[in-house]
Amino acid sequence: MTRKYELVYIVSPEATDEQVAEVHTQVDAVVQRLGGQLEKTENWGRRKLAYEIGRHKEGTYVLEVIQGTGELMKEIDRRLKVLDSVIRHLTVRVDETQAVIDRTKARRSATSQRRRVARGLPADRQPGEGQRNDADDDRDDRFDMGGM
Amino acid sequence: MEGRKSFGAKKTGRGATTQGKDGQRRPMFRRRKVCKFCSDKIDDINYKDTRLLLPFVPERAKILPRRISGTCALHQRKLRVALMRARQLALIPYTAE
Repeated sequence: MTRKYELVYIVSPEATDEQVAEVHTQVDAVVQRLGGQLEKTENWGRRKLAYEIGRHKEGTYVLEVIQGTGELMKEIDRRLKVLDSVIRHLTVRVDETQAVIDRTKARRSATSQRRRVARGLPADRQPGEGQRNDADDDRDDRFDMGGM
Repeated sequence: MEGRKSFGAKKTGRGATTQGKDGQRRPMFRRRKVCKFCSDKIDDINYKDTRLLLPFVPERAKILPRRISGTCALHQRKLRVALMRARQLALIPYTAE
């Protein structure tokens, strides 16, 4: 049973670029060995941590999207726990939530298309038609949710 | 307009009106809060998206309650999960002095 997971790990700020790449190759090796597939790798670069982890105040974030089994992720988790250069990591299963998101999106567009057709309009929104005004943001007097 | 549900003007329920000392009714106008995620049609509340999450963590870094932010129950649950994941990754703080 292959599933889709997202793995984010934080490499200690003292680590060199080679060490960061080294962690990545280790993860990749485990993925290859246990018959998984590495879909995407994203290096977010050095970021400030919201709180200190150990004595570190910043770290290098790396995101990996992996297709594989639960055993594979277990193994990666175990490996990352052992590595000293990785100060924090998190694995999240994403395929189910993504399916839910796609379903709600599809349902929403289907509803709007049905309604538009019922009103005698073309199914898809025409360019420049009935767009939301960003300026009415200021109705929100308590919080500025949009900004920041 | 008669017979039409009025949206936007008042918050209904508790606190909609206050009883003065002399028994006089004073209407308290409060804008009806709407869920940001419903109105903006944001389906994916992702822990990586700090720009989306940060308005829901005030100074003390506690999660903003629903009664203040107006987020609907479904989205508040999703938001909570996302915030807790972001906390684990030190993207947002657990506490702040």
